[in-house]
Amino acid sequence: MSLEQFKDRNVGTQNYTMLDLGESPKTGWGKFKQVAKRSVKLELFTGLKVTFREMIKALFMGEMHTTKYPFEKLPIAPRYRAIHEMKRLLESGHYRCIGCGLCEKICIADCIRMDTRYDENQRKEVSEYTINFGRCIFCGYCAEVCPELAIVHGGRYENASEQRASFALFEDMLTPLDQLTQQKEYPGFGAVSPDADKKIKKTPLAY
Amino acid sequence: MSETRRMPETVTLTIDGKGVTVPWGTTILQAARQNGIYIPTMCYLSKVEPIGSCRMCVVEVEGVDGMILSCQEKAVDGAVIRTNSEELFHERQKIMELYDVNHPLECGVCDKSGECDLQNKTLEFAVDTQHFAARDQHRPVKNWGFISYDPSLCVMCEKCVRTCAEIIGDDALAIETGGYKSTIVNTRDLSDCAQCGECMAVCPVGALVSTDFKYTSNAWELDRIPASCAHCSAGCQMEYNVKPSSIDNPEPRIYRVTNDFEFSSLCGAGRFGYDFENRQAKKDPQILKEAAEAFAKAETIRFSSVISNEEALLLSRIAERTGARLVCDEARGYQKFLRAYRQASGRSLPGADLESVRRSRVILTLGTRLYDDAPMVKFAVATASRREKAQVIYCHPMEDLRLQKQVTQFIKYEAGSEEGVAALLATTLVDRTQAPEELGRFLEDLDIGYLSAESNVSEEELDRLKLTLWKSKRFTLIVGEDLYNHPRVENIARILAAIERHSDFELLVIPPASNSLGVSLICDLADEAQGYTVGVNAPGDYVLSALGDGDCDLPAMNQQEGTLVNLEGRVVPTHPALPYGGWELADIARELGIGVREIVDLTPELPAEEGFRAVSFDELPDYFDVTGAEHRGYLLERRSGEGDGALPEEPEELESYDGTILYRCNPGKQFSPFTAKTHQLREEAKLLGSAQFATAARIQDGDRVRFVQDGIEYEREFRIDTSMKGTVAINPVFDIGLRGFAISSYRFSPAKLTKAGSADE
Repeated sequence: MSLEQFKDRNVGTQNYTMLDLGESPKTGWGKFKQVAKRSVKLELFTGLKVTFREMIKALFMGEMHTTKYPFEKLPIAPRYRAIHEMKRLLESGHYRCIGCGLCEKICIADCIRMDTRYDENQRKEVSEYTINFGRCIFCGYCAEVCPELAIVHGGRYENASEQRASFALFEDMLTPLDQLTQQKEYPGFGAVSPDADKKIKKTPLAY
Repeated sequence: MSETRRMPETVTLTIDGKGVTVPWGTTILQAARQNGIYIPTMCYLSKVEPIGSCRMCVVEVEGVDGMILSCQEKAVDGAVIRTNSEELFHERQKIMELYDVNHPLECGVCDKSGECDLQNKTLEFAVDTQHFAARDQHRPVKNWGFISYDPSLCVMCEKCVRTCAEIIGDDALAIETGGYKSTIVNTRDLSDCAQCGECMAVCPVGALVSTDFKYTSNAWELDRIPASCAHCSAGCQMEYNVKPSSIDNPEPRIYRVTNDFEFSSLCGAGRFGYDFENRQAKKDPQILKEAAEAFAKAETIRFSSVISNEEALLLSRIAERTGARLVCDEARGYQKFLRAYRQASGRSLPGADLESVRRSRVILTLGTRLYDDAPMVKFAVATASRREKAQVIYCHPMEDLRLQKQVTQFIKYEAGSEEGVAALLATTLVDRTQAPEELGRFLEDLDIGYLSAESNVSEEELDRLKLTLWKSKRFTLIVGEDLYNHPRVENIARILAAIERHSDFELLVIPPASNSLGVSLICDLADEAQGYTVGVNAPGDYVLSALGDGDCDLPAMNQQEGTLVNLEGRVVPTHPALPYGGWELADIARELGIGVREIVDLTPELPAEEGFRAVSFDELPDYFDVTGAEHRGYLLERRSGEGDGALPEEPEELESYDGTILYRCNPGKQFSPFTAKTHQLREEAKLLGSAQFATAARIQDGDRVRFVQDGIEYEREFRIDTSMKGTVAINPVFDIGLRGFAISSYRFSPAKLTKAGSADE
């Protein structure tokens, strides 16, 4: 389909169906007569009937069409990029982040910062991690570059808060330990492709 | 080499179709690099002899079967060389594949990631599959003090081992061979290894890393500020690696120090002693006024050698205006030495530099505890000892066992007899057939028997020294701090000038402290402080201190820009790595009515008659080129004239030191309160002596003793150092703050110890 069709503004030559709305009254008397006629004929209730029917369906028959927003939320698309989440390892419950600093490096809004240190177990420990959500443009690069699938985008899209820092720290983004079993993988940027197993080249082992 | 077959001076060869001409003796790899042609290497390190463990540098030579190691093969005339072909690429790819066998995939956390040779070359040769395998070994991480070693990351390139042996001369590292199980081992006790961190600097992977720096930052996050180390007079090239302190604190902090390890080296103090900055300084107008008033009424300005040339020049301008006298206790004796030397020899500076030390066959040191006073000179001596099989004659009242690998003859003399020793050396070294008659007569007239009896240097020792010199070449005489505060410093300088002039020896004079050479050239120093004294990093009635403990703050050397003169007579630039919030000397000078905007505006105004050039600070280069030639700042112009050839005087009757003696000397990694302040080098100062000293002084290991040296009262713990001998104990001064900068007495002094507490208490 070419763009030409959309650029054509000549309504008359196209396949539009015109509604027969009759003639609009032109004089004042004519307008008054129309109002009076519609009022007396109780045309109003024809429309209200639909409302009442839907109300009864919604209230008593369980066919509610709206959500009570702050209390209820619609599920969002799985690849939607909202506030980040930090995932944990399912086996040990330890956070997945290894502190490699790639998200910090790739971030084009320069909003990620991390402090790392050498911990008692001779591992690199992330001692502090923040994302400045006032700067974040939710591009998803951090999730894409993360080699450990540790930082991903979650579904939390409400960015209003008393202060931005209240959801910018590592602990705020980290899956709570008691909800570890409910932790879901993120299917968006950076996730493992469904045929990843087939793509892996095995390293020879001598034993 | 026989004289019959003369070697051509240059050779011309073709590398990748490009005709190149290089000096004879250049390797193919060097020839390629000098002409901008890339040959990949893993183990090649410019400052040591080719290692040849990686075989990455293979090239094809037309008419020669197989591949040639370009790092070891000398370029020959007319050779046609190809550095790249499908076979070569395949060969190199296989080598990289072998390097990658079992290499832990921990680039994500590895400190080296981003500047790792293995990472770069693995990507460069597109290693995406692994055809080799080996049973992995249990390789626990080892901690060697400042350095930790992770054997599983090690690629066995041997750079560290070679650097330690050839550059540092410690031979602390060795390879424990065992095929795939091979590892690097530290053969030395930690206290015995110089802990210079050079092995860590040259490591191409993350196997050797700084324990303190480990896992705190990625390489790419750090800003690199080029600087010169101001801890000692070597003024080594280095870079401060700077990054914000933490998420909460955006103030920059120095995370580590790196250097251009291909061509230069650093000692432990330079590498690990970097956070001596003065953080708390604020700009308080009241303090500026007070400081200016103090300068205005000062009769003496006393300062330390830890000062840039520009600041020294500014101080001398302030002194000119206010009529104050300048005192630099560290540099005063050195200036006397230098002036007497100049007058006698006609040369503006002694002739030797570190490169000439490295190439020497005979090295004689006098009046310096080399290992502690000047690590870079010690490194150069070690290199000479290794490469040139140099004979090293170490003349000092104390033997230093840490140098036993290098020193071939130790000449022990009595403390205080330096003048006599210098005269005795003159009788041995000076070529009488060439020397003028008066000098010959002077040497003839010396009472050698008396001198050798007083200084305890026997004639047999001198005869042995004379034998060493026989038929050898390239001689260097290194002298140090012990001489400068000797009461007869001027005569010693004249004797040494005569030796340099009338023998094959070149003289290397180690300045006593950081920028003592610059200070001696720029300022006219007075002997004694008098009246109201302003101390610039030195004690006084009004004290300006970069340690943050004075009446007014000053920026530390890592917070200011300026130039330093190092022991080679090179004017090197240094840049500020950290911000400074307080007043600088330039602000105070402005308050006094001296028009100077920035301190580095004075760089072109440094005295031209002393060899400084009128080059602005921003135009000073600061790099090593691909051949390793140093382009840092500029060398002072050396003048050589006739000199008055003034004859040395007869050595005076020697002051004798009986019984126990104290020697003022900071240990290896400490030079001043600035190194003592840094978090990695912090240590307790102890009086170190031999068991013999302990017996003579009637004290025991672990006792607390009180004593007075250089007019300063000390109370220190005494420790027996089993590597020491004799009745001389070492007293460090790095922990006494600014007072350490105001010592100008002779380094040896009689010890009068009183016990303050014993080990048992």
